[in-house]
Amino acid sequence: MTSPDKPITILIAALGGDGGGVLCDWIVEAAHHAGLPAQATQIPGVAQRTGATTYYVEVLPVPHTRLGERAPVLALNPAMGEVDVLLASELVEAGRMIFNGWVTPDRTTLISSSHRVFAIGERMAMGDGRFDVGRLLRAVKERSKAQILFDMDQAAEEAGSVLNAVLLGAFAGCGRAPIPDQAFEAAIRGAGKSVDANLAGFAFGRAHARGELEQTVRAHQKRLTEARGVEDLIEQARQLFPVATHDIVEEGVRRLTGYQDRTYAALYLDRLDKVWSAEKDAGGDGALLRETARHLAVRMSFEDVIRVAQVKTGADRFARVRAEVRAKDGEPLVITEHFKPGIEEMCALLPPGLARRVLAWAERTGRLGKWYWSMHVRTTTVSGFFRLWLLSKLRWWRPRTWRYVEEQAQIERWLDAIRRAAPLGRELAREIAECARLVKGYGDTHKRGSDNFARIETAVIAPALAGAMAPSVAADAIASARVAALADPEGDSLAKTLVEIAHRTQEVPRAAE
Amino acid sequence: MFDQPPAAARTNPERSFTDEVRSLRLGDGEIFRGEGVLAVTKALLQSGVAYVGGYQGAPMSHLVDVLVESQDLLDELGVHLETCTSEASAAALLGASINYPLRGCVTWKSIVGTNVAADALSNLASPGVVGGALIVVGEDYGEGASIIQERSHAFALKSSVWLMDPRPNLPTIVHCVEKGFELSEASNTPVMIELRIRACHVSGEFVAKNNVAPAISRNARLAEPIPQDYARISHPPSTYLQEKLKVDVRLPAAQRFIVEQGLNELLPGEREDLGIIVQGGIANVTLRGLDRLGLGDAFGAVKVPTLVLNVTYPLVPDQIADFCKGKRAVLVVEEGAPDYLEQEIGALLRKRDIGARLHGKDVLPMAGEYTAEVVTEGLLKFFAQTANDIDLSKPMQALETARAGRAEAQRLIGAPLPLRPPGFCTGCPERPVFSAIKLLEREVGKVHISADIGCHAFATLAPFNLGNTILGYGMSLAAAAGVAPVLQKRTISVMGDGGFWHNGLLSGVSSAMFNRGDRVLVVMQNGYTSATGAQFLPSSAGNRRDGENTSDIATTLRAMGVRWLRTIRTYNVSTMLATLREAVTTKEQGLKVIIADGECQLARQRRIRPQLAAALKRGERVIRTRYGIDDAVCTGDHSCIRLSGCPSLTIKPSPDPLRDDPIASVVNSCVGCGLCGEVADAAVLCPSFYKAEIVQNPSRWDRALTRVRTAVIGWLQGKESVAHAR
Repeated sequence: MTSPDKPITILIAALGGDGGGVLCDWIVEAAHHAGLPAQATQIPGVAQRTGATTYYVEVLPVPHTRLGERAPVLALNPAMGEVDVLLASELVEAGRMIFNGWVTPDRTTLISSSHRVFAIGERMAMGDGRFDVGRLLRAVKERSKAQILFDMDQAAEEAGSVLNAVLLGAFAGCGRAPIPDQAFEAAIRGAGKSVDANLAGFAFGRAHARGELEQTVRAHQKRLTEARGVEDLIEQARQLFPVATHDIVEEGVRRLTGYQDRTYAALYLDRLDKVWSAEKDAGGDGALLRETARHLAVRMSFEDVIRVAQVKTGADRFARVRAEVRAKDGEPLVITEHFKPGIEEMCALLPPGLARRVLAWAERTGRLGKWYWSMHVRTTTVSGFFRLWLLSKLRWWRPRTWRYVEEQAQIERWLDAIRRAAPLGRELAREIAECARLVKGYGDTHKRGSDNFARIETAVIAPALAGAMAPSVAADAIASARVAALADPEGDSLAKTLVEIAHRTQEVPRAAE
Repeated sequence: MFDQPPAAARTNPERSFTDEVRSLRLGDGEIFRGEGVLAVTKALLQSGVAYVGGYQGAPMSHLVDVLVESQDLLDELGVHLETCTSEASAAALLGASINYPLRGCVTWKSIVGTNVAADALSNLASPGVVGGALIVVGEDYGEGASIIQERSHAFALKSSVWLMDPRPNLPTIVHCVEKGFELSEASNTPVMIELRIRACHVSGEFVAKNNVAPAISRNARLAEPIPQDYARISHPPSTYLQEKLKVDVRLPAAQRFIVEQGLNELLPGEREDLGIIVQGGIANVTLRGLDRLGLGDAFGAVKVPTLVLNVTYPLVPDQIADFCKGKRAVLVVEEGAPDYLEQEIGALLRKRDIGARLHGKDVLPMAGEYTAEVVTEGLLKFFAQTANDIDLSKPMQALETARAGRAEAQRLIGAPLPLRPPGFCTGCPERPVFSAIKLLEREVGKVHISADIGCHAFATLAPFNLGNTILGYGMSLAAAAGVAPVLQKRTISVMGDGGFWHNGLLSGVSSAMFNRGDRVLVVMQNGYTSATGAQFLPSSAGNRRDGENTSDIATTLRAMGVRWLRTIRTYNVSTMLATLREAVTTKEQGLKVIIADGECQLARQRRIRPQLAAALKRGERVIRTRYGIDDAVCTGDHSCIRLSGCPSLTIKPSPDPLRDDPIASVVNSCVGCGLCGEVADAAVLCPSFYKAEIVQNPSRWDRALTRVRTAVIGWLQGKESVAHAR
């Protein structure tokens, strides 16, 4: 426990280059204004380039005037179990401090921004590599004495200040700082940079820490497709399918109407109906249908050039881009799209017979995957927009294209596998449905995804449907193969996993002998 | 207007050290407030230093950086500042103090800088000095360090250079600098002062003194050089005598001075039967450890007598012996391996037949940083073995509770937290080169990459994971010499312009030319030594005195006889890829050099931001460029991130209600370097990327054009929504 002649210890966890040094300086300056001995130190080095780093500050809550000649020996390193306040500018960095044992329930007030700055490993994952913060938030509650947790990134943006000003404010308002508010404000003024904005950020942080105000959290919004004239189809779906699937199916119907037309949306419902029959027969409650409906809508709205043109010329797109790039009202915006279609993308628009001949020629002559047309289209100009707009109008032609025919055949094969798997085991069927997430993107990404899907189909799904593998074993195998397929773009993990699966299935009969 | 200037015209970004420069002018009785490095700088000026030099590197960069900005003050005092191109030239600078009564100081990052300086250091230490010669090394050791973990102590021992390790508070640091000069002069020996990372950046205050203008200086030149004194040349037969002088004369002189001046601190305590000997640099963590055990207080009073060694070489045998005499046990708290102090103290106790039991690395770890936890545990073990009358149950309990708490926290969190290694800044010009190398590897397979010191070393980390070895600063080309002959594919060595001028040109290029090495070298020409804080280079604006460019990399290489030489703008990934492909596959033998040219983005932003702000304020038309991703087009594969890793290119939840994978997203810190678009193009990724140019302070023409475009496009879009309702 802290006694009057022991320093208050403050550990700061931050991302390098984000101004943690300024935060330290403010605290030291504020302590100086309050006449208190203080010392800060840091370990900038290479971490300054976006890496995780820490700063450490000690403030003795006894003014110089009462110390006389005595000077405290202040530490340069934090000590486990002796941190009074943790200031973290990002949630996982707060977590790192908890993980390393600096935060203790008998002593530490944890002050952290709740927002996330994703680490490179989370960002580069092929699917969803985000760290699950659920357990971390529990650790925050259980491992610290008190918590002040809110989105300081948002607060700073709203105040026009840097995040650290909000963090400083939260420290000032947390009840553990031995320094009066005016001293903090004097420190911000003394630094002389963006004083008003930083004082505003400081005031918000302090008020939030004291519970004097609430933050209106910006919730993440899913964007539902708007398409009119399909209410009858939606009504039909409501009659046909269990309630738990309605939101998904509805979105699917609207999306496919916008993507193609209502006939296509009706085809979607037909396909789902067959899956639902199979699931019902197997005693299912709609869980399989829901997953299939989700993936089927995505697969049926595959990303061909027509769809890209549709999105890029959509009515609400420019407003969306303006908001994203923070263009102010009255500031003209020029948008340049980066396209680089290859032979395959071009063939996607041709009728199947012609497309296959061109592709065969391209493959024979080594031009496939080599020839691309780099196009930079300015969609904010009339001519640029018009070209894309024309392309988006090719929707009527889509069902006659090679890509469409190919996609429908693959979709049918996938749906067929799901339907056949349902009586064997609903879990198996769901795992097969889930495999659709592998197929996404454009060019190489799409090809890799389709190839991975095909490999899993050959190695696991087909044997399972043929009865060569127990359904529960197959379901597990598919799940692990899917994870492996998303582990690395080179496909090494998937190859290894499929070999292991093959071994296991071969071992079973031998073990039984 | 804000295009990239040629390398020669890149000037030092406008880093401002105004406050620091002001504090260097403080006079008698005024209170200096600032960090450790700056205190050292002020102490130099107070000591009448005549020349200062150094090579940048964390944690010491600021010393020279601040002096560069203090040219007026240096001119007034007559202090010469040399911004050296390597630590070897910095060490050689101290040669001025061999013959002349000039006080000089050089600085660098250690251990690496000391390694580079070693030859000159030996040749300096042997003849010794008449003017105080100080070497301030930033000991880049422990958490936050970026280099191999070794001790500078070894260099002090082998060359007979005295080593000071001051307690990490400003008054002691300043005192040690001032006394360091005196010690150097009293013993005719160079003195090294080591400051650990945290000590370099520790904040604090001390009472300043007036700066002292050196008696002999740029402003007060000597008419004649001193006559030759062969004894002061490190050449035989002088060297034999010099070796004897080191041990017979200089060492005793130094030991006398240390005792007379009380450089080491003896903290008395009531437990006379025990003692602790600690390096000054880790005194704080040790004293706080004693406080934690109930054997001290927050003001450094201790119950166990403690000898704080602000000078760790040489030790003063009598001082150590006097301290240990009559004690049952003594603990040496000495950070790093090997345990030089403990060995020497052990031998001393044995020779003098002093019975105190010696502890050190038996209760403390041999290697690694001495953090609070490590030292506390060591102290607990020491007292548990030597003093069973001290009740350690409470601190023992506290340590165990804290450790159990940490284990519990880790169990609660479950999975390991995502690592956050350092990486390239937003818009870094070096990133595109590695994007291109990754694309090259897709075509030709894996290539042996010889990496180097500098920001580009981040390419060895995710998402690039490119690089097989690092052999030191500017060593990447030389480090591939033995690998290249046994590989079918050519090796690629990557080097920065900093490394090129520091060592790469001679150790690498000339050796590769001489041996007809058939290798590829990529030189990152960003115009500064960026990793250390954007200092000048021979190929940037030349030097701080004028805007003239000194040396040009391409011209230098041509003069060395390099025939295959290309200079490529880094952001052009397709061209970079084609050039790399050619370099790796061409039939032409010999060294192939690609100069990857692109200004350091940090420097560029510092330079152009104020210009842009001013232009905006004047109402001028300014285009802001940044990139974006269509969230309805991106499907969340993140190939683009795997080829870039730009901090501004991150992920966010998909707005699509049917997809869960997060999608890529460009955040507002984007500086519009164009890499996203280039990579999407070169790697044929996806059509999600767009370039947005926002016209600020638009002209009337801009506005009119926009009105027309919006009207026509709006009309077409209107038709679209009708189509939907069909």
